[in-house]
Amino acid sequence: MTAPLLELRDLAKGFPVRDAIGRRRGAVRAVDGVSLSVPKGSVLAIVGESGCGKSTLGRLALRLIEADAGEILLEGEDLRGLSARALRARRRDMQLIFQDPFASLDPRMTVEQAVAEPLRLHGIVPRAQEAQRVAELLSRVGLRPELARRWPHEFSGGQRQRIAIARALASQPKLIIGDEPVSALDVSVQAQVVNLLQDLIRELGLTFVLISHDLGVVRHIADRVAVMYLGRIVEEGPTRQVFGNPRHPYTRALLAAVPGQGHANAPLLEGDIPSPINPPSGCRFRTRCPYAQALCAEQVPPLEGASHLAACHFQNSLPPAVAGQDADTGGERLRRLQAYFTDQTQKTGELA
Amino acid sequence: MSTPVLDLARVTVEFPTDRGRLRPVDGISFSVEAGKTLAVVGESGCGKSVTALAIMGLLPQGGEVGGGIRLAGQELLALTPDQRRARRGGEMAMVFQEPMTSLNPAFTAGEQVAEALRLHQGLSPDAAFAKAIEMFRRVRIPEPERRARSYPHQLSGGMRQRVMIAMALACRPRLLIADEPTTALDVTVQAQILALIDEMKRETGTAVVLITHDLGVVRDHADDVVVMYAGRVAERASAADLFANPQHPYTIGLLGAAPRLEGGAARLASIEGTVPDLMHPPPGCRFAPRCPFAIAQCAEQPPLADITPGHQAACWRAPLDSLLEQAA
Repeated sequence: MTAPLLELRDLAKGFPVRDAIGRRRGAVRAVDGVSLSVPKGSVLAIVGESGCGKSTLGRLALRLIEADAGEILLEGEDLRGLSARALRARRRDMQLIFQDPFASLDPRMTVEQAVAEPLRLHGIVPRAQEAQRVAELLSRVGLRPELARRWPHEFSGGQRQRIAIARALASQPKLIIGDEPVSALDVSVQAQVVNLLQDLIRELGLTFVLISHDLGVVRHIADRVAVMYLGRIVEEGPTRQVFGNPRHPYTRALLAAVPGQGHANAPLLEGDIPSPINPPSGCRFRTRCPYAQALCAEQVPPLEGASHLAACHFQNSLPPAVAGQDADTGGERLRRLQAYFTDQTQKTGELA
Repeated sequence: MSTPVLDLARVTVEFPTDRGRLRPVDGISFSVEAGKTLAVVGESGCGKSVTALAIMGLLPQGGEVGGGIRLAGQELLALTPDQRRARRGGEMAMVFQEPMTSLNPAFTAGEQVAEALRLHQGLSPDAAFAKAIEMFRRVRIPEPERRARSYPHQLSGGMRQRVMIAMALACRPRLLIADEPTTALDVTVQAQILALIDEMKRETGTAVVLITHDLGVVRDHADDVVVMYAGRVAERASAADLFANPQHPYTIGLLGAAPRLEGGAARLASIEGTVPDLMHPPPGCRFAPRCPFAIAQCAEQPPLADITPGHQAACWRAPLDSLLEQAA
């Protein structure tokens, strides 16, 4: 087992809830006792629906917001113990890619300035080599280096996300956290960026934390998956096992709800996610769970298992799971025709 | 054969701009029958939402519609603005992607549904409010009496979209246009809303135009499909045919670009490049610059032609199967 690059231990964060005139009215436990470990060179996906705390968790791990409790170990060093100055220096090792490439690039900086900024900030290369390094980074993410003098508004969403990735790679980080990095992109462009991320992860040996609600993308690139619901992890394990044999009723419902599986009449989860201000006692999923019993309201189920863990009192007595699977109607003909697209990519070398 | 509820014939939409005329919709035709769902699928900028707005008569100022749009046999483009307004809400209704922007924040959810009923069905205020609560129950909003008295900001995203569907279906319209109705919602709530639209369609016989970018949604909920690319129809078929035997290279690429739940392909079949600038579209087939099958002939616009009965594609090279035979 490789040593973890990033380890989170019992991380917790609450946000105060205020009424209209600013009086404190309780707190949202956005992240409530999360422990995770990301081995070096692997991809961990954090999935869940809006409000489950996955984005907060990503920001806590980078200390972009401060945790209330817990430890964040990067290569064994607790980031929460670092001074502001030491943290700033450590930031070159960890980068964040945001969802919205229209908001994450400064419109007043050319592509070259945007990508060079982290180079200069962390003293990665001497000034004289800056332009050359920027050109290398741009071609690394599939953009022609001649585009360096252009402004962000001249690029499409997919190209901007490539620029954001080049910027994240500039400081030669060990860890990249992507918060819905492809969710804002159209599906054909999304495939380009997913392929790019996959290549970069493999070729640069990156450790990647993918925060996403898109289970198809997660299945495609993650080694392990953690499923969050209302601030807690309900299931965690190797991607293939979590998708093939989900052990928590919430994971099962989430997988069954993905459209395109050809069973439009599968049992649906009832109701909405409860308010995180006043979450249900015991197991937080019990109000929507078809298998809930009295015990579920009384005791918080522990996250149990060897390599594939789930937090459900009845995980060993649930009916057999149905694996998530897309209806496969196009068959061999479709796969052979699609190969023409893949071949074209390799021929053109992808420089956009 | 009965008259389709909606019939579009060579519809174009144009906007005058500073840089010349922009034509986001360039000659599209399709029809939908009662009780059926037609999915219009494509990526941003393909013209699918503009088409929806053109049908509803809700295009922004300056938009000019050409061709023909018939609702139950009647030409909508020949009507006066007042006559078209009278049909909105009653005969044809629309559900948008973001329910928060479509609901008036100053009125309760129940009042807004009741207003539609007063206007189009001439109900008294009390009767309309009672019917609104009944509609809330039908779309399975819990505690309908209380929610009818809630303001939009007091409801969750899924609940607001249920209110929109209740409002759209309250007057039993012949046609419901749902423009990305679940894109802003979480996947478990999305499944509920789409199932609800299916159920309502079965009950009332409403024809549904479902606009989406999600091929998975199309697979589970559509009877027929129109695939749009850069303002034109690339392919048109029954949903079963489209997925079993896609003919247009764009459709084939799109199907390969979405990662699969059971894993599989090491690399996704990405479509290189980006959609064309509609101010300067490429001549001929608009997909040709990104198409691995493109040949010289593609510099001319291919007609939307039958490849197999009832299954049309606008591609000179379709059916592509002969290519596979040569390769084998």
